[in-house]
Amino acid sequence: MEKRYDSKVALSIPAWNLESGELLGLVGSNGAGKTTFLSLLLDLLRPDQGSIRINGRALEADNSWRAVTGSFLDRSFLVEYLTIPEYLEFVGAAFGISKKETYQKLEAFEGFLPISRVDSKRLLRDLSTGNAKKVGILAALFVSPDFVILDEPFANLDPPSQIRLKEILIRTGKENHTTMIISSHDLGHVTEVCDRITLLSQGKIIRDIETSKETLAELNTFFSTDVVDSAT
Amino acid sequence: MKPATFVTSFRLLAKNQFRIAIRRIQVQQGWFVRIVIGVMLVYSAFILLTLGFFFDRFSSEVWPQLDPVTVVNRYLLAMFVSLFFMRFLFQKTPKIKIIPYLHLPIRRGALIAFFQSASLFSIHNFYPLLFFVPFWLRFVQQSSAVSSPEMWMVAVMLLIGTSHYANLLLRAILQRNAPFFYGLMSLFMITAFVDETSGIGLQQPVSEYMFTRILSGQIIEIWLLLLVFGTIAFASTLQLLKSVKSPEARSQPVRVTSLNIPESWGLVGHLVRLELLLLWRNRRPRHYLLVSLLFSTMYLVFMLGTGTAVNSSAFSALVGLFASGGFVLNYGQLMFGWDSEHYQALVTRDVPFSAMVKAKLIVLQGSCVALFVISLPLFISFRSDLVPLHFAFLFYNAGITTVLIMELAARNNQAIDIGKSGGFFNYEGFSAKHWLWFIPTALPPVLFMMAMNDSPKIALILLASIGFVSILLTDVWTHYFARGLNGRKHKMIEGFTKSAG
Repeated sequence: MEKRYDSKVALSIPAWNLESGELLGLVGSNGAGKTTFLSLLLDLLRPDQGSIRINGRALEADNSWRAVTGSFLDRSFLVEYLTIPEYLEFVGAAFGISKKETYQKLEAFEGFLPISRVDSKRLLRDLSTGNAKKVGILAALFVSPDFVILDEPFANLDPPSQIRLKEILIRTGKENHTTMIISSHDLGHVTEVCDRITLLSQGKIIRDIETSKETLAELNTFFSTDVVDSAT
Repeated sequence: MKPATFVTSFRLLAKNQFRIAIRRIQVQQGWFVRIVIGVMLVYSAFILLTLGFFFDRFSSEVWPQLDPVTVVNRYLLAMFVSLFFMRFLFQKTPKIKIIPYLHLPIRRGALIAFFQSASLFSIHNFYPLLFFVPFWLRFVQQSSAVSSPEMWMVAVMLLIGTSHYANLLLRAILQRNAPFFYGLMSLFMITAFVDETSGIGLQQPVSEYMFTRILSGQIIEIWLLLLVFGTIAFASTLQLLKSVKSPEARSQPVRVTSLNIPESWGLVGHLVRLELLLLWRNRRPRHYLLVSLLFSTMYLVFMLGTGTAVNSSAFSALVGLFASGGFVLNYGQLMFGWDSEHYQALVTRDVPFSAMVKAKLIVLQGSCVALFVISLPLFISFRSDLVPLHFAFLFYNAGITTVLIMELAARNNQAIDIGKSGGFFNYEGFSAKHWLWFIPTALPPVLFMMAMNDSPKIALILLASIGFVSILLTDVWTHYFARGLNGRKHKMIEGFTKSAG
């Protein structure tokens, strides 16, 4: 699969596979192609060459994957003029979940974002970056999806929220057998949560490894000595 | 380090704001939009200048027994009130412009003084002069009955300035105390309505008396106007100072009330709610809603009330098109563009395009019914003979105009910042196709009504029937547009992302 922006190749992956139930961490420097990769997986971008298949079916040919996918890439995934309850009810409705069931499901995330205590009259656009991110992550997770895609979920969160999110992701992945792709610059968190790490550099996969005790040290060494992608 | 002096601050701010204004023109609009705006500006300037220089030819037709100066004096106050409503819809306040400077070592006084005075350089203040200056040169100065023509011009300038700062003041009041603002406006509207309809007609003699006295050299009225101007300018400056000193100056969280739609409506109900909230909670779409409401009420009063204005079949078709279809024509053409900021949120969820289109069609068709109901009393009161036309165009607009506009909207790929004001020259989201598309949308019913001039009843029955059949085909249209949107999805996302950046 290849994606170009004008003549520049942003992503070039000969072949890559993700098994059901895997928790994959996507790491790489700024400009490595992580967000492009996630956007391609969500059919927000179309590859110039090659294709993406979910359960053997081409992404663009079959929309059924949407009904089982929860995702949050950035603030554009929020509808900023809605309040938190309105937005979560809307996302629930998009997944065919009733209002009552939406609030029942949200109870499981009270520790991360206490929905019963949020200011229900405040618009999403008036929230801080961290709180807006929590809402986006919550919207991706509470619908009990089979497949979760999160871009930089730990960034901008306060330490307690980071710890709770880590627990939620591990619990969701292990207990619900949810397949996840999490891109992150936080090597510590990502190696704790994920059982597989894919390292992108200049649009290419340069490592694809099972997480072990040595992975964090290995990644630290790589980023301190090796490639620095251009963010320009 | 000392804060910059008043003069240095003024110079710095002037240089910076000038640069920003130039860059905004260069960056924001495409060439086609720039040409259209240019033509519109030249055309309206030409009309105002012509009206100013040759007002006698116009006034002798409508008020043959009055001289031009008396006519203008009589309607001067009413004219400024009308212009004020235009200002209120379109003119921006300087508050947003001040925010980036608040953290810098620039004296608050200099900031406020600069932006309050710079705000006077507005098209809303300049354009009225295109009428008043030639009128003054040709009629006021030349009149033998006038002893102080200069004072008359000073009075006009004071009225322009008062109107300018009153707009800023009222906007600040609306921001801080909405119930008080609405109370004030209601009181004003009721007074004006009672004055006009009960036959009292107080404002015309007051206006004529005041400006005739100014022309005859009475200085007291000028002092009175100066006092009003000074008070309003001072109050508006105080409000601006207060707003930049308040902790919410940088961002003012809006507290909202909810809008409930029965859950049984399902996803389409949620999407209808989303569209209605988009419309109500964001500045630019709300502006389009207000303009549509204004057309179907206030403007329609002028058009229908003057009796002879809507006589030709072509013009009556246009009135029919806009009276119930105004919202479809102006808000509808930018649909999907309105959603540009969160379009990705919609397409990554399990939200079928058919549900999205259906919700938008329901909102557009609903707007036709709402505007029809709102404007019906005006048709009944002023031109009951046009009620059948209004009724026929309800069906035509709900059935055909919505579909034609959706065909255009489904090709939008320009991002729109919905939080920005919808003032003059904010053509974000527009391209050449939006201007050109008006021809196939508005022209067919107009031409049809003209062609059927001898049988207007049959023409209306046919227009209504076509509209009605099209309404019955809503599901067919929904799937047609959904297919198109699915095919253009990536192009639209790419366009929204690029143009938003």
